[in-house]
Amino acid sequence: MDRESRRAVSREYFSQERLAEHHFRSFNNFLDRGMQDVVDEKETIGTDIGDKEGQEPVWVELGDVRILTPRVREADGSEELLYPQEARLRNITYAAPVFMEMSIVRGGEDEPEEVVDQTETKVGRMPIMVGSNKCNIDGFSDDELIDIGEDPVDPGGYFIVNGSERVLMTSEDLAPNKILAEHDTKYGDDIQVAKTFSQRRGYRALVLCERNREGLLEVSFPSVSGSVPFVTLVRALGLESDEEIVHRVSEDPEIVKFMLENLEEADVQTEEEAIETLGKRVASGQGKNYQLKRANYVIDRYLLPHLHEEGVEEEDVRINKAYYLCRMAEACFELALGRRDSDDKDHYSNKRLKVSGDLMKDLFRTALNKLSRDVKYQLERANMRNRDLSVNTVVRSDVLTERLEHPIATGNWVGGRSGVSQLVDRTDYMGVLSHLRRLRSPLSRSQPHFDARDLHATQWGRICPSETPEGPNCGLVKNFAQAMELSQHVDDERELKRELDEMGVEGIPGIEGVERATPADD
Amino acid sequence: MSTTRATGCPECDGRLTADGDETVCEGCGLVVSTDRLDRGPEWRSFEDDDRNPARCGAPLTRSRHDRGLSTEIGRSGRGKNRKWSRLRRQHRRTQIRSKRERNQVYGFTEIRRLMGALSLPDRIRDQSCSLFESAQEEDLLRGRSIEGFASAAVYAACRVAGVSRTTQEVLDAAKATADEHRAAYDALNRELGLPVSAAEPAEFVARFASELDLGQAVRRRARDLAEQAVDSGHANGRNPGGVAAGAIYLAARRKDEAVTQAEAADVADVTPVTVRTTYQALRD
Repeated sequence: MDRESRRAVSREYFSQERLAEHHFRSFNNFLDRGMQDVVDEKETIGTDIGDKEGQEPVWVELGDVRILTPRVREADGSEELLYPQEARLRNITYAAPVFMEMSIVRGGEDEPEEVVDQTETKVGRMPIMVGSNKCNIDGFSDDELIDIGEDPVDPGGYFIVNGSERVLMTSEDLAPNKILAEHDTKYGDDIQVAKTFSQRRGYRALVLCERNREGLLEVSFPSVSGSVPFVTLVRALGLESDEEIVHRVSEDPEIVKFMLENLEEADVQTEEEAIETLGKRVASGQGKNYQLKRANYVIDRYLLPHLHEEGVEEEDVRINKAYYLCRMAEACFELALGRRDSDDKDHYSNKRLKVSGDLMKDLFRTALNKLSRDVKYQLERANMRNRDLSVNTVVRSDVLTERLEHPIATGNWVGGRSGVSQLVDRTDYMGVLSHLRRLRSPLSRSQPHFDARDLHATQWGRICPSETPEGPNCGLVKNFAQAMELSQHVDDERELKRELDEMGVEGIPGIEGVERATPADD
Repeated sequence: MSTTRATGCPECDGRLTADGDETVCEGCGLVVSTDRLDRGPEWRSFEDDDRNPARCGAPLTRSRHDRGLSTEIGRSGRGKNRKWSRLRRQHRRTQIRSKRERNQVYGFTEIRRLMGALSLPDRIRDQSCSLFESAQEEDLLRGRSIEGFASAAVYAACRVAGVSRTTQEVLDAAKATADEHRAAYDALNRELGLPVSAAEPAEFVARFASELDLGQAVRRRARDLAEQAVDSGHANGRNPGGVAAGAIYLAARRKDEAVTQAEAADVADVTPVTVRTTYQALRD
């Protein structure tokens, strides 16, 4: 490339639109699809109405969400469009009303289902990022911006809550749904551990596969205290015979030897036995039937939740979970035999960034849950007092608004994280730019974490090598490089999987016309 | 955060605004009082400090039956979960001591819901809640419905504060039926002696005009016309909402903005005939 084109490219990278582009892209994505996704996940709000005899059950079905642009309701009742500068000066929140279609449905047991009431109702207000698609200044020319008191060179990318400008800190997390193998010590012995942060729809579960000092594999996951033998668990998942288990883990003769040791120690041989053993672990002292029920529930709910997918048979998911555990086992053994090195947690391919849209999605999910609980309570209450059930009278819009605004105002995010939102640094223009492009590691700054603070080779072109604070936050707070490109996750995973299937990848569950011959390897 | 006090400035009778720890007159700038305790929590953040920045709880509020003073057992602690959920349940039960308090909780929840639905400010919310409480103290709720009193308290607080809503607007959002609302409002008005005067048509102009998407010039004109209608005695005995709609219709016509009588009547929830009467009276 000649000098001129290089100049043109770098000028493009320094253009104003790119400064906070990652915020806009992420937040717009949240507004366009993320919100609806969260509502679709929730789908319905159930109630306890109908538990009693002779009562028909009642539930609420959630439909489309719609969001307007920011506006303010004055004391005299008039509603006006709100512009960012007015929000700053009047100490109010730059937020837009959110509407949702809801229908109350009754019946289903003795009588046919009947829609009691269906309307689109205001469920609350959502703080809007300045400069995003739903912002009132979107698409304004410089002169128009000056007319409404806005700074034409202001990068945007922050929220205005109670008049203060708040930026959501991008956070740098360990990549979910990936197997990370590493050495660890337990009671003074060196052991090998394969870890996966399995994440699906805001639920995050850590699954650990350990090779202990006797060379036996143990798996631990949420809701089971301690750990479960590997062989027991894969048998409970439907991988029964010795041969199949060994074959799924590895063909390597030394690993096969390790696996045979494990199989010798195994105290269960069949799937039923394995589930019974698991039941004794998760619900000890309970009735047999309950133990089985609980064991199945735990397997489907808490073990590797990311392998679940809409429209895939429960059985296929289970066997996939077994295959996945085999991959984790293989990683442990390979590490023990020195066939591979432990995974580098600081490698940038093992990191994922949570930008404002992802954070807002977490927030919206909990806010919607809170709203649902409130709607449930209001419905039950209204039913008890023999009132007509109507959508408008059971939705309290301040519930959602409060849950969305308070975390942005204080920085205390859901999941106990604090300092997620910060007051935009207006010391000078460069301060603002730097602040919008800052990212934070969730690691505690009071501990050394030397490796995490070090400049890693994979940060090349992504993270600025020199801009980091001195002192306790050194290396934990970083800034984007100017030419950084942030890729986004795939919108439609099924389409991707279909594409892979056409290219000849076998064993993808839930894709038509494929026979499962090899494990889904990821 | 600033709130406006009801009493005026001692020097010039201007509006007083409490800002931080000072109460200042908006007109002449006189600092009326200082060193007021700020009872709210701190809203500054300590960047990524894990400590909770609040040195005290949420501010006292009249809109909770316990003034927002009660505590809750949190979930963060480890330990026996079953024991803690039992403790949490027992603790929650102690918060409501009598049937009356339970009714109050229900009434206040309904009032807060109405506030959200009608987008009314916190000032009105607190007033409505005080009204509801006074009604309970006067034993007015006996035989009448809680929902009715909640909507009536909201309606009354709006009237008193001069930001009137029509009965229909309140009823559309409320759980109460029209009869319950009426009975409760009559009882409130009779027994508590609400300082309500007839609702001024001008109070409705801004809201109706914004619903019709009219410009500032029309709104100003309509406001003047509405006041004129009151001064000339034309508004006497007429639905103030209808008078406001008539004034808006006339103002819009004078300023050449397109509003039909039907549209104006629709936002005010009156018949086009009412709009026409005001319009004709004001035009002459």
